[in-house]
This record gives sequence, structure tokens and C-alpha cells, in this order.
Amino acid sequence: MIMLNRSVIPTPAKELLFNIPEIKFLKLGNGIDISFVHKKKLPIVYSEIIVFSGCRFDPTEKKGLGYLTSLLMDEGAGEFDALQLSEEFEKLGTVFSVSTDHDTAILSILSLTENFERSLELVSKIVLKPRFDEKDFQREKKKVLDRILQLKDEPSFLASSAFEHRVFGDSYYGFPEIGFAESVARISNDDVKNFFARTFTSSNAKIVAVGNLDEKEIVNLFNKYFNEWTTLSDNNQNFETSKRGKTSYYFIHKSDSAQSEIRIGHISNKRNSNDFIPTRIMNTILGGQFSSRINSNLREKRGFTYGANSSFHYYKEIGLFEISTAVNIENTSEAIIEILKELNGIREHISEEEINFAKSYLIKQFPSRFETLMQIANNLESLLIHSLPADELINYTKKVKSATNEEVKTSAINNVLPDELVIVAVGDRKKVSDQLKQISGAEPIELDLQGNFIT
Amino acid sequence: MTKNLLKIDYEKYSLSNGLPVILYPDLSIPLAAVNLWYRVGSANERNGKTGFAHLFEHMMFQGSQNVPKEGHFKFIQEAGGSLNGSTSFERTNYYETVPANYLELALWLESDRMGFMLPGLNQEKLDNQKDVVMNERRQRYENQPYGLAWEKLFSNLFSQDHPYSWPTIGWMDDIAKFELDDVKKFFEKYYSPSNASLVIGGNFDKSNAKDLVEKYFGEIKGTAAIPEIETPLQSLSKSKKIVYEDNVQLPRIYLAWHTVKAFQEHDAVLDLLSDILTSSKNSRLHESLVFEKQIAQDISSFQYSGKLDGSFIIASTAKPSITLEKIKDEITKGIDELISKGINDDELMRAKNNIKSAYIFSLQKIDLITDHINHYNFYLNEPDSFLFDLSRYEQVTCEQIIDAAQKFLTKPLIELNIIPKTK
Repeated sequence: MIMLNRSVIPTPAKELLFNIPEIKFLKLGNGIDISFVHKKKLPIVYSEIIVFSGCRFDPTEKKGLGYLTSLLMDEGAGEFDALQLSEEFEKLGTVFSVSTDHDTAILSILSLTENFERSLELVSKIVLKPRFDEKDFQREKKKVLDRILQLKDEPSFLASSAFEHRVFGDSYYGFPEIGFAESVARISNDDVKNFFARTFTSSNAKIVAVGNLDEKEIVNLFNKYFNEWTTLSDNNQNFETSKRGKTSYYFIHKSDSAQSEIRIGHISNKRNSNDFIPTRIMNTILGGQFSSRINSNLREKRGFTYGANSSFHYYKEIGLFEISTAVNIENTSEAIIEILKELNGIREHISEEEINFAKSYLIKQFPSRFETLMQIANNLESLLIHSLPADELINYTKKVKSATNEEVKTSAINNVLPDELVIVAVGDRKKVSDQLKQISGAEPIELDLQGNFIT
Repeated sequence: MTKNLLKIDYEKYSLSNGLPVILYPDLSIPLAAVNLWYRVGSANERNGKTGFAHLFEHMMFQGSQNVPKEGHFKFIQEAGGSLNGSTSFERTNYYETVPANYLELALWLESDRMGFMLPGLNQEKLDNQKDVVMNERRQRYENQPYGLAWEKLFSNLFSQDHPYSWPTIGWMDDIAKFELDDVKKFFEKYYSPSNASLVIGGNFDKSNAKDLVEKYFGEIKGTAAIPEIETPLQSLSKSKKIVYEDNVQLPRIYLAWHTVKAFQEHDAVLDLLSDILTSSKNSRLHESLVFEKQIAQDISSFQYSGKLDGSFIIASTAKPSITLEKIKDEITKGIDELISKGINDDELMRAKNNIKSAYIFSLQKIDLITDHINHYNFYLNEPDSFLFDLSRYEQVTCEQIIDAAQKFLTKPLIELNIIPKTK
């Protein structure tokens, strides 16, 4: 029997044509913008109400207010108390949730088309008639305080929040959404009500809807239930940019750690910066996917870790470049040294082959970013948060294709800055500080659990 | 409407080497998904050699005769696809979702490692992946609060020689000891077309797909059938309590009972019982412990069932200064009350509605659908079992829920307390 010659790598069948689904930009009677995509295949609808509220409005002494407010929003609304409201959603099989970060609070609904109207009616009660009962407030506040206590046990949380605090300083991105024990303790139910009234306004809101309803049906439903939502926001929070400093090493003591959690990075450009696409290509090579330089080195070559990656995260007002990994604690210094080598290396050399690989990856995976309703909505959400035109999606693959090798290389020089890093490791004090001291030029500084200097 | 949606129009056939193939075309998407299950998992291991099925899964990404180390990731990612694998007690799966025009690439890669994995193997790759897996164990279990709870629980719930008594990732000492020869023997025994099943879903032409499957998998030799693992259902003659000190601020209690195997009588009933007890704000135990009395920070439960056995587990974290005895008392009270006073139709209806919606929501992703098809084929020998599966839940009555609680949750149990370190 003649065996197949398996050394021949199959080539793709005919080129695949893919157009993103048509995005409609609509407006409600009360002026709120809706981005909408009609998806007919399944009898389901996904929608998000995005409010530019979030914990950037947290007063300094009451960090955690925005987060607590978002937890309390669906603890009873209109004629329903907290348990009844949850029951109403369950009857419908609807998944409703509220999430909050520094820039937004997002109410999301995933429901069967036949139950979407009732689901939306319930959500309108949450937006227009939240109860904020004192007993719910006391319970949820206690739950947050106990959660904060539990977070002391989680090395990845400790590493990320200390890292963000060292990078962003006292600007509002420099604090965890959930707040701190002493700041949450100061929050009253009136604070929550005021926060909600002040920031959860229609003038602060945008809507995304995707699914099996047509454009008229969607607009009519939102108009029917949200027409009275016409509140203005009197407040615009100013973001004070923090600055990068020279590379510094920090550690947090966590006893009996099996690994050290490592975060390395610095502030970077906003999402709407001109070099967004070249930077994404560059990061794909550096640490943005499994075969990247950082993961190949730390995991596949050296076995220091289960995984290591780098990312450019885009907040509304600023960007964050971050390398994240957890390594066997004995390999902490070697792992950091290797990461630093990769950061210097990407500035020195990027091959055409790597650029072609990264472009191919980004271009060809693009259709799979539109598979589920939630994925489509996330694409729309990202346009809204960063005030970008639909062209960002429509011509995305073209832009990736046309980025030049020079632009990709320049983006490494401009956006990867090995001399301006914040380096944080969380692990057992003795081991982790000894490890850090082995890195040339490192003078490790111990931080407390909130990322502050220990005085 | 649900009926039509959940009816999967598939074709199933076998190659002459024994590989079952299931084709599920869906021309409405630009993607193709390849999903391959091997009938081997940590249940095929024995004491002293635990964690091998999972380590082997890692080795499957280390290249084969015609694919270099990490090549699997490189090729699929360059094509814009996504890929991974996972290991459980009784099966190991490998899957990739690619733009539809790259289906052949995925089949080439999967077939190369199914038939020709050993020539790509060497000591360096094994040593590297042992380090990676030991770090996976540290990251996911040892360095996580409560991270060792499951292995403490299962190693006590099942007798020492039972295949569910060790964790899928394996004991650290065992992982460190594996040798190249273990990889070879394991591959030769379990990795063959007759011990696997291949599902292809998404945008492809059926006859073309059949040709490609024959081209790449047809010449790989099948092996002798591997006998199913047989082990008697386990039960506890008396309850046992284990206390473990961990780096945690708040103590957590786990209660575990023996139940039934997957897809057996009571299996779906126990899923619904779990929903009624803990799945939402107003589920019984959540409402009582977290919402009203505020003695617990969280509570969760589930019926875990596999081919050999099953168990029902409830876990709850105590609020500061609340004892785990108190938590256990309240859980017991809640279960007793459910048994003595029953449940109402509304509670059951809500649980059923949520399961039905979740089924429909899951149809959005082709990788989930193909994995589900393999799952049904594996347990029921019928890929198109979405409707059957859903009907298992729809038919459940209030009485069955009460009976199951009575039958299983009043028996002896394993109680695990994870408490803050005292030193």
C-alpha cells in the first residue's frame, strides 16, 4: 500500500470571503444611541446598556462605591424585592448581569427572543426604579467587605492590583474596582443612591443590541420601556495622566507560595492612537498568543511556567502594557531576566516572517470574532467606549494587511520601554526578594497588600 | 421551535480502521470545527502513575513525524484558528476551529499525531512538558486558595484503587517520575483510530470532507478494542470528616455523597436538585444561608457524574466568626425541609427554563456543538441527543426531586473542612 506523503502541508481551499454583519446606528426617542446588528439564525437576543459611570467617579475616601452601587442595582426594583426580581428573570430563562469597571457599568441581557420584551421591561425597572433598600445595602456591603478579606488569599489579584497602583499612581485607574476595607466601610446607602443618580444617567448611556429582532422592533421596545429615562449628568471626571518612571522592582509577601505571580509593564497609548494596528501586530509576536516569543521562551523552552503573555489593554483614557505570568518561585529571577531580554529583543529585531505570521493570524481569525451575539456586541461596545467609527471594524483586515514592517518595528521602539518598567512579584518574602536581588540593577522594594510602600 | 433547533442533522459512519466519523454541516457560518475524542483519561491510570493521560495530552502538542514542536499551534494560529485539548476522568479531547477553507490543515495535523506521534518524541520535550505541567499544578491548584479541595474530597470519597480517587492532573511525585517509555506505551495502547471519534462541524462539503478524512486517517492502523473499565459502584458505610489547613482567610465546608453515573436514572434529577438548592439568589440554600441569615459568603452545589460513578457536592464559605458546624447544620436543615415539605411547581419550572435557555444559548458556538456531539456519542452512542437530553430534564417531577434528595443526601457523606492555618 502506498502511504500518503504527509510532509506536504495542505494549502487552503478557495479564499474565504467574509464581510462583517451590517451595523445600524439608531437613536431612541430620549436621544440614546443604539448600535444594532440583526442576527437571525437563533431565536435569541443579546443587549447591553453601557453607562459611562464606573469607579472613576469613586471619591478618594470611598473607593469601591461604583462597584457596590452596581451590585445593589438589581437588588430589588419597582414592585419587586431582590428575591422576586431574580425570580422574574429566572422564569424567563434570561441571563441578566451587571458588571462594572473603571470606565463603565454595563447591564447585559441574554434572552430568548420570545422573552426579550419582558426581560427588557424588568431591566427598565432596574434603571428607572431601583429600590436601594437599607437591608440589601447592609448585606451587600458586608459581602464586599468579606470578599476583600478573601482577596488577600489570591496572588494573581494581589499582583495585578499592586502593579496597577504602581503604574497609575493615585489616578483613578490605580485602584481596584472593589475598593479597600477601610474605604468601603465609609460608604453609606445614601452615597450609593447619590452615586447612582449622579452617574447612571441617560446622557451617559449607550446601547448595543444583537439578535433576532429587526431594527424597528428593537427601537420600539427600548422606546416603550426607556422613554422616561431622560436624566443628565452634571459631572465629568478629569483623568490626570500619571507618568512613567525608571524601572523599579517591587514584591509583596505571601507566605508559603508555590509560585511567584509576576506583572511587568507600563502606561501606553490610548486605543485611538495611530499605531494601534502596528502595535497589535508587534504584540502578537511578542506575547499575544501561544507561539509568541515570551510564551515560547518561558514555557516551551524553559518550562518555568504554565503560560506567559503580554497585552496592551485599553482603558478609555489611557493604555496599559502588561506582561503576566506565574512561575515556579525558584525561577523568579531567571524568568524576569528572560522577559527583559524579550522586551529588548523585540526593539532590536523583528523578522519579516514573524510579521507575516502575525498578520495572517490577525486577519484570518477576524471572522471568528463574530460568531456569538456576545462577541458581536463586544466589538460594537469597543467602538462606543473608544469613540471609534465603524470603519475600525469594516476595514480592520485591510489595515492589518497594509501595515508596513517599518511601522511594526517602530511600534516596538515606541511602546515597549524596558527602562521604564514597573515590575511586581508576589511570593514568599525571603525567596522572592532573594530572587529579585539576583537581577542586575534591581533594588527590590516591599509593598503592602494594597501596593503601597511599607513605612 | 426548540424541537427543530435542537435536532442535529448529522451523518455517522466508520472508516475501515474503526474510526467513527460524524459530520455536521452548517453552511451559515464561515468556520469549520474539528473535534477529536480519545477514549482515555485519568481513570485509565493507576496509583504511582497518576497524571499521565493529562501529561500525554501536553505531549500531543510537541510535534509528530511531520510537525515540529509547537507546530500545531503555529499552523492553526497562522490560519486564524483556535485550538486546545483537555483531559478528564475518561476521555481526552483535541479540537480546533478554523476558517472553513483550512479544514484540510486541521485534519492533516490531527492525523499526523494520531498515527505518527512517536517519531517526533524526545527526552528534552518530555522534560520540558513535565516542568510545564508541574507549574500548571502549582498555578491552578497549589497556589490557589481552596485549590486542593477537590483532590482531598475525591481521594476520600473513593477507595484508594478507584480510578476517581486521584486528580486528573496527577500527584506531583508521579508527574516528576514519568519516562519516555511511558509515553510510547501509552500512545501504542490508547491512541488509535478505533479508540477515538472524530466530529467535523461547520461549513464544508460532505463528500469532500469524507474524501479528506479517508485520505488522512484511512491508513492509520486500528488496534485491539480496549475493554471498558469495570468497577463496582461505591458507597460509604459511615460518614467521615477531614480537616485541612490552607492559606485562607475564611473556612469553607464541602459535603460529598455518592450518587449515580452519567445519564442514569436520577442523574438529571440531581442536576435540577442542585439548581433548586444553590443556583440563584432565591434558590433554597442561597436564600437561607447567604441572603437571610448571612452566615455564608457563598454556596454552590452540583451533581458530578461520569461513566463509573457520580457524586453530589455542596460547598459553602463561612462568614467571619461563623463556624462550619453552623453552616453544616443549616445545609442539613434546608435539605430536610425540602424532603419533608416538598418543592413547588414554580421552583421546578424556573430550573427547567434555565436549562432549556442554556441549551439554546450554547448553539451559538460550533466548537461547543461539536464537543457536545462527541459527548453524546461517547455516553449514549447517539450523536443527536440534544432533544433526548433536554427531555430528561423536562420530564422530571417535584416528587422525583424529593425522592432523590431523600435517597442520596441523607446517606453517609464525606465532610471536608478547609480552615485557616493555625500556626
